[in-house]
Amino acid sequence: MVKDWRFWFVIPTVLALGTVVAFPTGFLLWMSTAHWVVTEPGVYFNGAQNFQTLFASSAFLSATGVTLAYLTLSTAIMVVLAFAFALALAGPHSSGLLRALMITPLVIPPVVVGFTWRFLLNGEIGFIGAYLLPAIGIEANLLAEPLGALFSIVIADVWSRTPFMFLIFLAALQSIPRDYYEAIRLDGAKRFHEFFLITLPMMKGAISVAILFRVIDALNTFELIYVMTKGGPGRSTQTYSLLGWKTAFQGFDFGAAAALGVVMIVVTTIVALAVFRRFMRGV
Amino acid sequence: MARKLGRTLSDDLGRWTLITLALIFVLLPIVWLAIASVKTRNAALAIPPEFIFTPDFSAYARIMSGGFLGAFQNSLIIALSNVVLTLVLGVPAAFALTRMHGKVQENLSFWLLSIRMAPLFAVILPLYVLFKSIGLLDTPIAVSLAHLTLTLPLAIWMLVTYFRSIPVDLDHAARLDGANALQILWLVIIPIARPMLASVAIIVFIFSWNEFLLAFILTSRNAQTVPVAVASLAGTMSFDWPLIAAVSVASMLPALIFVGFAQRHIVSGLGSGAVK
Repeated sequence: MVKDWRFWFVIPTVLALGTVVAFPTGFLLWMSTAHWVVTEPGVYFNGAQNFQTLFASSAFLSATGVTLAYLTLSTAIMVVLAFAFALALAGPHSSGLLRALMITPLVIPPVVVGFTWRFLLNGEIGFIGAYLLPAIGIEANLLAEPLGALFSIVIADVWSRTPFMFLIFLAALQSIPRDYYEAIRLDGAKRFHEFFLITLPMMKGAISVAILFRVIDALNTFELIYVMTKGGPGRSTQTYSLLGWKTAFQGFDFGAAAALGVVMIVVTTIVALAVFRRFMRGV
Repeated sequence: MARKLGRTLSDDLGRWTLITLALIFVLLPIVWLAIASVKTRNAALAIPPEFIFTPDFSAYARIMSGGFLGAFQNSLIIALSNVVLTLVLGVPAAFALTRMHGKVQENLSFWLLSIRMAPLFAVILPLYVLFKSIGLLDTPIAVSLAHLTLTLPLAIWMLVTYFRSIPVDLDHAARLDGANALQILWLVIIPIARPMLASVAIIVFIFSWNEFLLAFILTSRNAQTVPVAVASLAGTMSFDWPLIAAVSVASMLPALIFVGFAQRHIVSGLGSGAVK
Protein backbone atom coordinates (compact mmCIF):
# COMPACT_ATOMS: atom_id res chain seq x y z
CA MET A 1 0.00 0.00 0.00
CA VAL A 2 2.79 2.40 0.94
CA LYS A 3 4.46 1.68 -2.39
CA ASP A 4 1.30 2.65 -4.24
CA TRP A 5 1.46 6.21 -5.62
CA ARG A 6 -2.22 6.68 -4.92
CA PHE A 7 -1.55 6.38 -1.21
CA TRP A 8 0.86 9.33 -1.36
CA PHE A 9 -1.55 11.38 -3.46
CA VAL A 10 -4.40 10.96 -1.01
CA ILE A 11 -2.64 11.03 2.35
CA PRO A 12 -1.99 14.83 2.56
CA THR A 13 -5.70 15.51 2.10
CA VAL A 14 -6.62 12.86 4.66
CA LEU A 15 -4.20 14.38 7.17
CA ALA A 16 -5.37 17.94 6.50
CA LEU A 17 -9.05 17.12 6.80
CA GLY A 18 -8.31 14.87 9.77
CA THR A 19 -6.78 17.87 11.53
CA VAL A 20 -9.44 20.45 10.71
CA VAL A 21 -12.56 18.25 10.71
CA ALA A 22 -12.28 14.69 12.01
CA PHE A 23 -10.26 15.51 15.13
CA PRO A 24 -12.44 18.53 16.01
CA THR A 25 -15.58 16.43 15.63
CA GLY A 26 -14.22 13.84 18.04
CA PHE A 27 -13.19 16.63 20.38
CA LEU A 28 -16.72 18.06 20.16
CA LEU A 29 -18.19 14.76 21.33
CA TRP A 30 -15.92 14.87 24.35
CA MET A 31 -16.70 18.55 25.02
CA SER A 32 -20.42 17.78 25.02
CA THR A 33 -19.94 15.55 28.05
CA ALA A 34 -17.86 18.08 29.97
CA HIS A 35 -18.76 20.80 32.38
CA TRP A 36 -16.86 23.58 30.64
CA VAL A 37 -17.85 27.14 31.39
CA VAL A 38 -15.09 29.50 30.31
CA THR A 39 -15.75 32.00 33.09
CA GLU A 40 -15.63 29.31 35.81
CA PRO A 41 -12.52 27.44 36.90
CA GLY A 42 -12.22 23.74 36.17
CA VAL A 43 -13.32 21.45 33.34
CA TYR A 44 -14.70 18.09 34.40
CA PHE A 45 -16.75 15.16 33.09
CA ASN A 46 -20.43 15.42 33.84
CA GLY A 47 -21.98 12.76 31.63
CA ALA A 48 -25.24 13.62 29.91
CA GLN A 49 -25.88 16.68 32.07
CA ASN A 50 -25.37 19.13 29.16
CA PHE A 51 -27.93 17.29 27.05
CA GLN A 52 -30.46 17.12 29.88
CA THR A 53 -30.13 20.85 30.53
CA LEU A 54 -30.31 21.58 26.81
CA PHE A 55 -33.45 19.53 26.14
CA ALA A 56 -35.18 21.04 29.16
CA SER A 57 -34.37 24.65 28.26
CA SER A 58 -37.03 26.85 26.71
CA ALA A 59 -34.38 28.45 24.46
CA PHE A 60 -33.70 25.06 22.84
CA LEU A 61 -37.40 24.39 22.38
CA SER A 62 -38.04 27.72 20.72
CA ALA A 63 -34.89 27.36 18.57
CA THR A 64 -36.18 23.97 17.38
CA GLY A 65 -39.47 25.55 16.35
CA VAL A 66 -37.80 28.50 14.65
CA THR A 67 -35.27 26.28 12.83
CA LEU A 68 -38.04 23.96 11.61
CA ALA A 69 -40.29 26.82 10.48
CA TYR A 70 -37.46 28.64 8.73
CA LEU A 71 -36.20 25.44 7.10
CA THR A 72 -39.58 24.25 5.83
CA LEU A 73 -40.80 27.61 4.59
CA SER A 74 -37.57 28.61 2.82
CA THR A 75 -37.05 25.16 1.29
CA ALA A 76 -40.60 24.96 -0.05
CA ILE A 77 -40.39 28.39 -1.68
CA MET A 78 -36.93 27.66 -3.07
CA VAL A 79 -37.88 24.34 -4.65
CA VAL A 80 -40.87 25.88 -6.43
CA LEU A 81 -38.99 28.98 -7.63
CA ALA A 82 -35.85 27.10 -8.65
CA PHE A 83 -37.92 24.56 -10.57
CA ALA A 84 -39.89 27.26 -12.37
CA PHE A 85 -36.75 29.24 -13.27
CA ALA A 86 -34.95 26.11 -14.44
CA LEU A 87 -37.90 25.12 -16.64
CA ALA A 88 -38.01 28.63 -18.08
CA LEU A 89 -34.28 28.73 -18.82
CA ALA A 90 -33.53 25.11 -19.72
CA GLY A 91 -34.36 25.47 -23.40
CA PRO A 92 -31.64 25.38 -26.02
CA HIS A 93 -32.20 29.02 -26.95
CA SER A 94 -31.84 30.68 -23.56
CA SER A 95 -28.75 32.80 -23.30
CA GLY A 96 -25.72 32.47 -21.06
CA LEU A 97 -26.18 36.08 -19.98
CA LEU A 98 -29.60 35.33 -18.49
CA ARG A 99 -28.21 32.37 -16.56
CA ALA A 100 -25.27 34.45 -15.35
CA LEU A 101 -27.66 37.13 -14.08
CA MET A 102 -29.79 34.51 -12.37
CA ILE A 103 -26.86 33.08 -10.40
CA THR A 104 -25.36 36.42 -9.33
CA PRO A 105 -26.84 36.27 -5.79
CA LEU A 106 -24.91 33.05 -5.23
CA VAL A 107 -21.57 34.86 -5.26
CA ILE A 108 -22.59 37.79 -3.10
CA PRO A 109 -21.42 37.45 0.51
CA PRO A 110 -24.42 36.51 2.71
CA VAL A 111 -23.42 39.30 5.08
CA VAL A 112 -23.99 41.79 2.27
CA VAL A 113 -27.25 40.04 1.38
CA GLY A 114 -28.44 40.44 4.96
CA PHE A 115 -27.53 44.12 5.07
CA THR A 116 -29.14 44.87 1.75
CA TRP A 117 -32.43 43.25 2.69
CA ARG A 118 -32.40 44.84 6.12
CA PHE A 119 -31.97 48.15 4.32
CA LEU A 120 -34.67 47.41 1.72
CA LEU A 121 -37.24 46.14 4.22
CA ASN A 122 -36.69 48.82 6.86
CA GLY A 123 -40.01 50.43 7.74
CA GLU A 124 -38.65 53.98 7.80
CA ILE A 125 -35.98 54.24 5.15
CA GLY A 126 -36.31 51.07 3.06
CA PHE A 127 -37.30 51.12 -0.59
CA ILE A 128 -39.59 48.12 -0.12
CA GLY A 129 -40.57 48.49 3.54
CA ALA A 130 -41.24 52.23 3.49
CA TYR A 131 -42.11 52.88 -0.14
CA LEU A 132 -43.39 49.88 -2.14
CA LEU A 133 -45.34 48.12 0.63
CA PRO A 134 -47.14 51.26 1.89
CA ALA A 135 -47.97 52.03 -1.75
CA ILE A 136 -50.00 48.80 -1.91
CA GLY A 137 -51.48 49.39 1.51
CA ILE A 138 -49.20 47.35 3.75
CA GLU A 139 -47.91 49.43 6.64
CA ALA A 140 -45.66 47.16 8.66
CA ASN A 141 -42.17 47.31 10.04
CA LEU A 142 -41.48 43.69 9.13
CA LEU A 143 -38.17 43.34 10.93
CA ALA A 144 -39.62 44.55 14.23
CA GLU A 145 -42.37 41.91 14.39
CA PRO A 146 -41.74 38.23 15.24
CA LEU A 147 -43.45 36.69 12.21
CA GLY A 148 -42.42 39.54 9.93
CA ALA A 149 -38.78 39.12 10.95
CA LEU A 150 -38.83 35.38 10.25
CA PHE A 151 -40.46 36.03 6.90
CA SER A 152 -37.89 38.72 6.07
CA ILE A 153 -35.08 36.28 6.70
CA VAL A 154 -36.77 33.69 4.53
CA ILE A 155 -37.07 36.24 1.69
CA ALA A 156 -33.40 37.21 1.93
CA ASP A 157 -32.37 33.56 2.12
CA VAL A 158 -34.54 32.62 -0.85
CA TRP A 159 -32.95 35.45 -2.79
CA SER A 160 -29.48 34.31 -1.88
CA ARG A 161 -29.77 30.51 -2.15
CA THR A 162 -32.34 29.75 -4.86
CA PRO A 163 -29.69 30.08 -7.60
CA PHE A 164 -27.81 27.05 -6.25
CA MET A 165 -30.91 24.90 -6.46
CA PHE A 166 -31.61 26.42 -9.86
CA LEU A 167 -28.19 25.20 -11.06
CA ILE A 168 -28.83 21.67 -9.83
CA PHE A 169 -32.26 21.56 -11.49
CA LEU A 170 -30.93 23.09 -14.70
CA ALA A 171 -28.22 20.43 -14.97
CA ALA A 172 -30.75 17.68 -14.28
CA LEU A 173 -33.32 19.05 -16.76
CA GLN A 174 -30.75 19.26 -19.49
CA SER A 175 -29.73 15.65 -18.97
CA ILE A 176 -33.25 14.34 -19.74
CA PRO A 177 -33.12 12.91 -23.27
CA ARG A 178 -35.23 14.86 -25.80
CA ASP A 179 -36.52 11.60 -27.33
CA TYR A 180 -38.62 10.88 -24.25
CA TYR A 181 -40.67 13.99 -24.87
CA GLU A 182 -40.97 13.32 -28.59
CA ALA A 183 -42.10 9.76 -27.96
CA ILE A 184 -44.83 10.75 -25.54
CA ARG A 185 -45.88 13.66 -27.76
CA LEU A 186 -46.47 11.20 -30.62
CA ASP A 187 -48.87 9.42 -28.29
CA GLY A 188 -50.83 12.65 -28.02
CA ALA A 189 -49.64 13.79 -24.60
CA LYS A 190 -50.38 17.28 -23.37
CA ARG A 191 -48.01 19.66 -21.61
CA PHE A 192 -49.01 18.57 -18.12
CA HIS A 193 -48.64 14.91 -19.12
CA GLU A 194 -45.09 15.60 -20.19
CA PHE A 195 -44.42 17.33 -16.89
CA PHE A 196 -45.91 14.68 -14.62
CA LEU A 197 -44.92 11.59 -16.63
CA ILE A 198 -41.37 12.52 -17.62
CA THR A 199 -39.97 15.72 -16.11
CA LEU A 200 -40.99 15.19 -12.50
CA PRO A 201 -40.04 11.47 -12.25
CA MET A 202 -36.70 12.13 -13.96
CA MET A 203 -35.99 14.99 -11.54
CA LYS A 204 -36.64 13.02 -8.34
CA GLY A 205 -32.96 12.40 -7.69
CA ALA A 206 -31.98 16.00 -8.31
CA ILE A 207 -34.79 17.32 -6.11
CA SER A 208 -33.82 15.12 -3.19
CA VAL A 209 -30.13 16.01 -3.52
CA ALA A 210 -31.07 19.68 -3.68
CA ILE A 211 -33.21 19.36 -0.58
CA LEU A 212 -30.41 17.54 1.24
CA PHE A 213 -27.94 20.33 0.42
CA ARG A 214 -30.56 22.87 1.38
CA VAL A 215 -31.14 21.34 4.81
CA ILE A 216 -27.41 21.34 5.51
CA ASP A 217 -27.11 24.90 4.24
CA ALA A 218 -30.07 26.05 6.33
CA LEU A 219 -28.65 24.51 9.50
CA ASN A 220 -25.46 26.48 8.79
CA THR A 221 -27.20 29.80 8.11
CA PHE A 222 -25.75 32.25 10.54
CA GLU A 223 -24.62 35.60 9.19
CA LEU A 224 -27.84 36.41 7.38
CA ILE A 225 -29.77 36.20 10.65
CA TYR A 226 -26.94 37.73 12.67
CA VAL A 227 -26.90 40.82 10.45
CA MET A 228 -30.66 41.16 9.96
CA THR A 229 -32.09 40.48 13.43
CA LYS A 230 -29.42 38.91 15.71
CA GLY A 231 -32.09 36.30 16.47
CA GLY A 232 -34.74 38.81 17.57
CA PRO A 233 -37.15 40.32 18.21
CA GLY A 234 -37.15 38.18 21.33
CA ARG A 235 -36.25 34.68 20.20
CA SER A 236 -38.40 34.78 17.10
CA THR A 237 -35.54 34.24 14.60
CA GLN A 238 -33.08 32.45 16.86
CA THR A 239 -32.15 29.22 15.06
CA TYR A 240 -29.80 26.47 16.28
CA SER A 241 -26.69 28.22 14.92
CA LEU A 242 -27.60 31.52 16.55
CA LEU A 243 -28.39 29.79 19.84
CA GLY A 244 -25.11 27.86 19.63
CA TRP A 245 -23.11 31.01 19.07
CA LYS A 246 -24.85 32.81 21.93
CA THR A 247 -24.36 29.87 24.27
CA ALA A 248 -20.66 29.56 23.47
CA PHE A 249 -19.49 33.12 22.95
CA GLN A 250 -21.90 35.19 25.01
CA GLY A 251 -22.86 32.70 27.72
CA PHE A 252 -19.37 31.10 27.64
CA ASP A 253 -20.86 27.65 28.24
CA PHE A 254 -18.75 25.53 25.88
CA GLY A 255 -20.17 22.25 27.17
CA ALA A 256 -23.78 23.18 26.45
CA ALA A 257 -22.85 24.64 23.06
CA ALA A 258 -21.00 21.43 22.18
CA ALA A 259 -24.10 19.42 23.10
CA LEU A 260 -26.09 21.56 20.67
CA GLY A 261 -23.39 20.91 18.04
CA VAL A 262 -23.86 17.16 18.56
CA VAL A 263 -27.63 17.56 18.14
CA MET A 264 -27.01 19.36 14.84
CA ILE A 265 -24.74 16.53 13.63
CA VAL A 266 -27.43 13.98 14.52
CA VAL A 267 -30.14 15.94 12.67
CA THR A 268 -27.95 16.27 9.57
CA THR A 269 -27.08 12.57 9.63
CA ILE A 270 -30.72 11.53 9.89
CA VAL A 271 -31.74 13.74 6.94
CA ALA A 272 -28.76 12.58 4.87
CA LEU A 273 -29.44 8.90 5.55
CA ALA A 274 -33.11 9.30 4.70
CA VAL A 275 -32.28 10.92 1.37
CA PHE A 276 -29.52 8.44 0.53
CA ARG A 277 -31.65 5.43 1.36
CA ARG A 278 -34.49 6.51 -0.83
CA PHE A 279 -32.84 8.06 -3.80
CA MET A 280 -29.15 7.50 -4.05
CA ARG A 281 -28.61 3.76 -3.91
CA GLY A 282 -25.33 2.79 -5.47
CA VAL A 283 -23.90 6.26 -5.77
CA MET B 1 -50.65 23.84 -36.95
CA ALA B 2 -52.56 26.84 -35.66
CA ARG B 3 -53.08 25.05 -32.37
CA LYS B 4 -49.40 24.34 -32.08
CA LEU B 5 -48.52 27.95 -32.78
CA GLY B 6 -50.99 29.10 -30.15
CA ARG B 7 -49.49 26.77 -27.63
CA THR B 8 -45.98 28.03 -28.32
CA LEU B 9 -47.07 31.64 -28.07
CA SER B 10 -48.82 31.23 -24.74
CA ASP B 11 -45.88 29.17 -23.49
CA ASP B 12 -43.47 31.89 -24.50
CA LEU B 13 -45.58 34.59 -22.90
CA GLY B 14 -45.66 32.70 -19.61
CA ARG B 15 -41.97 31.97 -19.85
CA TRP B 16 -40.93 35.54 -20.45
CA THR B 17 -43.22 36.92 -17.77
CA LEU B 18 -41.60 34.53 -15.32
CA ILE B 19 -38.09 35.42 -16.48
CA THR B 20 -38.82 39.15 -16.24
CA LEU B 21 -40.22 38.84 -12.71
CA ALA B 22 -37.26 36.69 -11.69
CA LEU B 23 -34.81 39.24 -13.07
CA ILE B 24 -36.50 42.10 -11.20
CA PHE B 25 -36.38 40.09 -7.97
CA VAL B 26 -32.72 39.17 -8.50
CA LEU B 27 -31.45 42.55 -9.69
CA LEU B 28 -33.44 44.98 -7.51
CA PRO B 29 -31.32 44.53 -4.34
CA ILE B 30 -28.04 44.70 -6.24
CA VAL B 31 -29.02 47.79 -8.20
CA TRP B 32 -30.46 49.47 -5.10
CA LEU B 33 -27.26 48.80 -3.17
CA ALA B 34 -25.13 50.21 -5.96
CA ILE B 35 -27.32 53.32 -6.12
CA ALA B 36 -27.21 53.81 -2.34
CA SER B 37 -23.42 53.72 -2.43
CA VAL B 38 -23.25 56.82 -4.63
CA LYS B 39 -25.77 58.90 -2.70
CA THR B 40 -25.17 61.30 0.15
CA ARG B 41 -26.18 60.13 3.62
CA ASN B 42 -29.42 62.08 3.64
CA ALA B 43 -30.34 61.18 0.08
CA ALA B 44 -29.87 57.48 0.84
CA LEU B 45 -32.41 57.68 3.66
CA ALA B 46 -34.97 59.81 1.83
CA ILE B 47 -38.49 58.42 1.40
CA PRO B 48 -39.89 58.70 -1.22
CA PRO B 49 -36.57 57.82 -2.81
CA GLU B 50 -34.87 60.27 -5.16
CA PHE B 51 -34.55 58.54 -8.51
CA ILE B 52 -32.70 61.43 -10.11
CA PHE B 53 -29.71 62.72 -8.21
CA THR B 54 -26.10 63.76 -8.66
CA PRO B 55 -23.82 60.85 -7.79
CA ASP B 56 -21.59 61.38 -4.79
CA PHE B 57 -18.58 59.12 -4.46
CA SER B 58 -17.47 60.24 -1.01
CA ALA B 59 -18.56 56.92 0.54
CA TYR B 60 -15.85 55.17 -1.46
CA ALA B 61 -13.32 57.66 -0.12
CA ARG B 62 -14.52 56.83 3.39
CA ILE B 63 -13.63 53.15 2.77
CA MET B 64 -10.00 54.24 2.56
CA SER B 65 -10.13 56.47 5.63
CA GLY B 66 -12.30 54.09 7.66
CA GLY B 67 -9.63 51.40 8.00
CA PHE B 68 -11.25 48.87 5.68
CA LEU B 69 -8.17 48.40 3.54
CA GLY B 70 -6.71 46.05 6.15
CA ALA B 71 -9.79 43.84 5.93
CA PHE B 72 -9.53 43.70 2.13
CA GLN B 73 -5.86 42.77 2.45
CA ASN B 74 -6.66 40.01 4.98
CA SER B 75 -9.44 38.60 2.83
CA LEU B 76 -7.16 38.55 -0.18
CA ILE B 77 -4.35 36.77 1.69
CA ILE B 78 -6.75 34.24 3.22
CA ALA B 79 -8.65 33.49 0.01
CA LEU B 80 -5.52 33.22 -2.17
CA SER B 81 -3.60 31.01 0.26
CA ASN B 82 -6.71 28.87 0.65
CA VAL B 83 -6.96 28.44 -3.14
CA VAL B 84 -3.30 27.33 -3.30
CA LEU B 85 -3.68 24.92 -0.37
CA THR B 86 -6.92 23.49 -1.75
CA LEU B 87 -5.48 22.85 -5.20
CA VAL B 88 -2.14 21.47 -3.98
CA LEU B 89 -3.93 19.03 -1.68
CA GLY B 90 -7.06 18.41 -3.72
CA VAL B 91 -5.78 17.86 -7.26
CA PRO B 92 -3.58 14.81 -6.50
CA ALA B 93 -6.20 13.41 -4.12
CA ALA B 94 -9.00 13.75 -6.66
CA PHE B 95 -6.84 12.23 -9.40
CA ALA B 96 -5.89 9.26 -7.22
CA LEU B 97 -9.56 8.77 -6.27
CA THR B 98 -10.56 8.41 -9.91
CA ARG B 99 -7.82 5.84 -10.48
CA MET B 100 -8.91 3.66 -7.55
CA HIS B 101 -11.50 0.93 -7.24
CA GLY B 102 -13.27 -1.04 -4.55
CA LYS B 103 -13.70 -0.52 -0.84
CA VAL B 104 -10.92 2.01 -0.23
CA GLN B 105 -12.26 4.33 -2.91
CA GLU B 106 -15.84 3.97 -1.67
CA ASN B 107 -14.91 4.66 1.94
CA LEU B 108 -12.76 7.65 1.08
CA SER B 109 -15.47 9.15 -1.12
CA PHE B 110 -18.05 8.62 1.59
CA TRP B 111 -15.77 10.21 4.17
CA LEU B 112 -15.25 13.27 1.97
CA LEU B 113 -18.97 13.53 1.33
CA SER B 114 -19.78 13.31 5.03
CA ILE B 115 -17.28 16.10 5.76
CA ARG B 116 -19.00 18.23 3.17
CA MET B 117 -22.23 17.70 5.05
CA ALA B 118 -20.94 18.30 8.57
CA PRO B 119 -22.66 21.27 10.20
CA LEU B 120 -20.17 24.10 10.38
CA PHE B 121 -21.09 25.01 13.91
CA ALA B 122 -20.01 21.57 15.12
CA VAL B 123 -16.49 22.16 13.80
CA ILE B 124 -16.09 25.74 14.93
CA LEU B 125 -16.09 25.31 18.67
CA PRO B 126 -13.33 22.67 18.75
CA LEU B 127 -11.33 24.60 16.12
CA TYR B 128 -11.57 27.71 18.27
CA VAL B 129 -10.20 25.81 21.28
CA LEU B 130 -7.51 24.18 19.11
CA PHE B 131 -6.30 27.41 17.50
CA LYS B 132 -6.42 29.21 20.82
CA SER B 133 -4.23 26.60 22.49
CA ILE B 134 -1.54 26.84 19.78
CA GLY B 135 -1.70 30.64 19.61
CA LEU B 136 -3.07 30.90 16.06
CA LEU B 137 -6.25 32.77 16.96
CA ASP B 138 -6.71 36.01 15.02
CA THR B 139 -4.19 35.09 12.30
CA PRO B 140 -4.87 34.68 8.56
CA ILE B 141 -3.34 31.17 8.69
CA ALA B 142 -6.02 29.96 11.11
CA VAL B 143 -8.86 31.22 8.91
CA SER B 144 -7.25 29.89 5.75
CA LEU B 145 -6.79 26.43 7.30
CA ALA B 146 -10.31 26.45 8.73
CA HIS B 147 -11.71 27.24 5.28
CA LEU B 148 -10.26 23.95 4.05
CA THR B 149 -13.18 22.24 5.81
CA LEU B 150 -15.44 23.84 3.19
CA THR B 151 -13.27 24.19 0.13
CA LEU B 152 -11.25 20.97 0.02
CA PRO B 153 -14.19 18.52 -0.10
CA LEU B 154 -15.98 20.81 -2.56
CA ALA B 155 -12.95 21.02 -4.87
CA ILE B 156 -12.29 17.27 -4.75
CA TRP B 157 -15.97 16.59 -5.45
CA MET B 158 -15.90 18.79 -8.56
CA LEU B 159 -12.49 17.54 -9.73
CA VAL B 160 -13.39 13.86 -9.37
CA THR B 161 -16.33 14.35 -11.73
CA TYR B 162 -14.03 15.97 -14.24
CA PHE B 163 -11.02 13.61 -13.94
CA ARG B 164 -13.33 10.63 -14.53
CA SER B 165 -13.97 12.01 -17.99
CA ILE B 166 -10.27 11.85 -18.89
CA PRO B 167 -9.59 8.40 -20.42
CA VAL B 168 -7.32 6.12 -18.39
CA ASP B 169 -5.63 5.17 -21.69
CA LEU B 170 -3.78 8.48 -21.51
CA ASP B 171 -2.20 7.42 -18.19
CA HIS B 172 -1.25 4.05 -19.66
CA ALA B 173 0.36 5.61 -22.71
CA ALA B 174 2.37 7.99 -20.55
CA ARG B 175 3.39 5.14 -18.24
CA LEU B 176 4.64 3.12 -21.22
CA ASP B 177 6.83 6.10 -22.05
CA GLY B 178 8.34 5.79 -18.57
CA ALA B 179 6.50 8.58 -16.74
CA ASN B 180 5.81 8.17 -13.03
CA ALA B 181 2.53 9.14 -11.36
CA LEU B 182 3.66 12.67 -10.51
CA GLN B 183 4.84 13.26 -14.07
CA ILE B 184 1.57 11.91 -15.48
CA LEU B 185 -0.36 14.30 -13.27
CA TRP B 186 1.86 17.28 -14.01
CA LEU B 187 2.56 16.74 -17.72
CA VAL B 188 -0.59 15.02 -18.95
CA ILE B 189 -3.57 15.56 -16.69
CA ILE B 190 -3.09 19.12 -15.44
CA PRO B 191 -2.55 20.64 -18.92
CA ILE B 192 -5.81 19.03 -20.10
CA ALA B 193 -7.68 20.08 -16.98
CA ARG B 194 -6.52 23.70 -16.97
CA PRO B 195 -9.94 25.31 -17.69
CA MET B 196 -11.57 23.14 -15.04
CA LEU B 197 -8.81 23.93 -12.54
CA ALA B 198 -9.37 27.63 -13.20
CA SER B 199 -13.07 27.40 -12.45
CA VAL B 200 -12.47 25.31 -9.31
CA ALA B 201 -9.95 27.93 -8.18
CA ILE B 202 -12.49 30.69 -8.76
CA ILE B 203 -15.27 28.91 -6.88
CA VAL B 204 -12.92 28.14 -3.99
CA PHE B 205 -11.79 31.78 -3.93
CA ILE B 206 -15.38 33.00 -3.76
CA PHE B 207 -16.26 30.54 -0.98
CA SER B 208 -13.29 31.64 1.08
CA TRP B 209 -13.79 35.34 0.33
CA ASN B 210 -17.47 35.26 1.30
CA GLU B 211 -17.25 32.95 4.31
CA PHE B 212 -18.33 34.61 7.55
CA LEU B 213 -18.85 32.29 10.51
CA LEU B 214 -15.36 30.75 10.72
CA ALA B 215 -13.68 34.11 10.10
CA PHE B 216 -15.95 35.78 12.64
CA ILE B 217 -15.20 33.30 15.43
CA LEU B 218 -11.50 32.85 14.72
CA THR B 219 -10.54 36.53 14.38
CA SER B 220 -10.95 39.56 16.59
CA ARG B 221 -8.99 42.49 15.19
CA ASN B 222 -5.80 41.78 13.22
CA ALA B 223 -7.05 39.16 10.79
CA GLN B 224 -10.60 40.49 10.30
CA THR B 225 -11.96 39.72 6.83
CA VAL B 226 -14.26 41.88 4.70
CA PRO B 227 -17.53 40.11 5.63
CA VAL B 228 -16.63 40.40 9.33
CA ALA B 229 -15.84 44.09 8.86
CA VAL B 230 -19.15 44.62 7.08
CA ALA B 231 -21.02 42.91 9.91
CA SER B 232 -19.24 45.00 12.53
CA LEU B 233 -20.62 48.12 10.87
CA ALA B 234 -24.00 46.92 12.12
CA GLY B 235 -22.84 47.40 15.67
CA THR B 236 -21.80 51.00 15.14
CA MET B 237 -25.42 52.09 14.54
CA SER B 238 -24.31 55.31 12.90
CA PHE B 239 -26.52 54.41 9.93
CA ASP B 240 -23.94 55.44 7.40
CA TRP B 241 -25.80 53.50 4.73
CA PRO B 242 -23.77 54.86 1.82
CA LEU B 243 -20.57 53.62 3.50
CA ILE B 244 -22.06 50.19 4.23
CA ALA B 245 -23.31 50.04 0.65
CA ALA B 246 -19.95 51.12 -0.73
CA VAL B 247 -18.05 48.49 1.29
CA SER B 248 -20.62 45.90 0.20
CA VAL B 249 -20.26 46.82 -3.45
CA ALA B 250 -16.47 46.70 -3.15
CA SER B 251 -16.68 43.32 -1.43
CA MET B 252 -18.76 41.91 -4.29
CA LEU B 253 -16.39 43.02 -7.01
CA PRO B 254 -13.91 40.12 -7.06
CA ALA B 255 -16.72 37.57 -7.17
CA LEU B 256 -18.66 39.44 -9.86
CA ILE B 257 -15.55 39.83 -12.03
CA PHE B 258 -14.84 36.12 -11.72
CA VAL B 259 -18.39 35.13 -12.53
CA GLY B 260 -18.22 37.27 -15.65
CA PHE B 261 -15.13 35.32 -16.66
CA ALA B 262 -16.16 31.83 -15.74
CA GLN B 263 -19.96 31.83 -15.76
CA ARG B 264 -20.12 28.80 -18.04
CA HIS B 265 -17.75 26.74 -15.91
CA ILE B 266 -19.46 27.69 -12.68
CA VAL B 267 -22.83 26.69 -14.10
CA SER B 268 -21.62 23.32 -15.34
CA GLY B 269 -19.17 22.70 -12.48
CA LEU B 270 -21.43 23.40 -9.51
CA GLY B 271 -24.47 21.95 -11.21
CA SER B 272 -23.04 18.67 -12.38
CA GLY B 273 -20.85 18.27 -9.31
CA ALA B 274 -23.93 18.39 -7.18
CA VAL B 275 -25.93 15.91 -9.21
CA LYS B 276 -23.36 13.20 -9.92
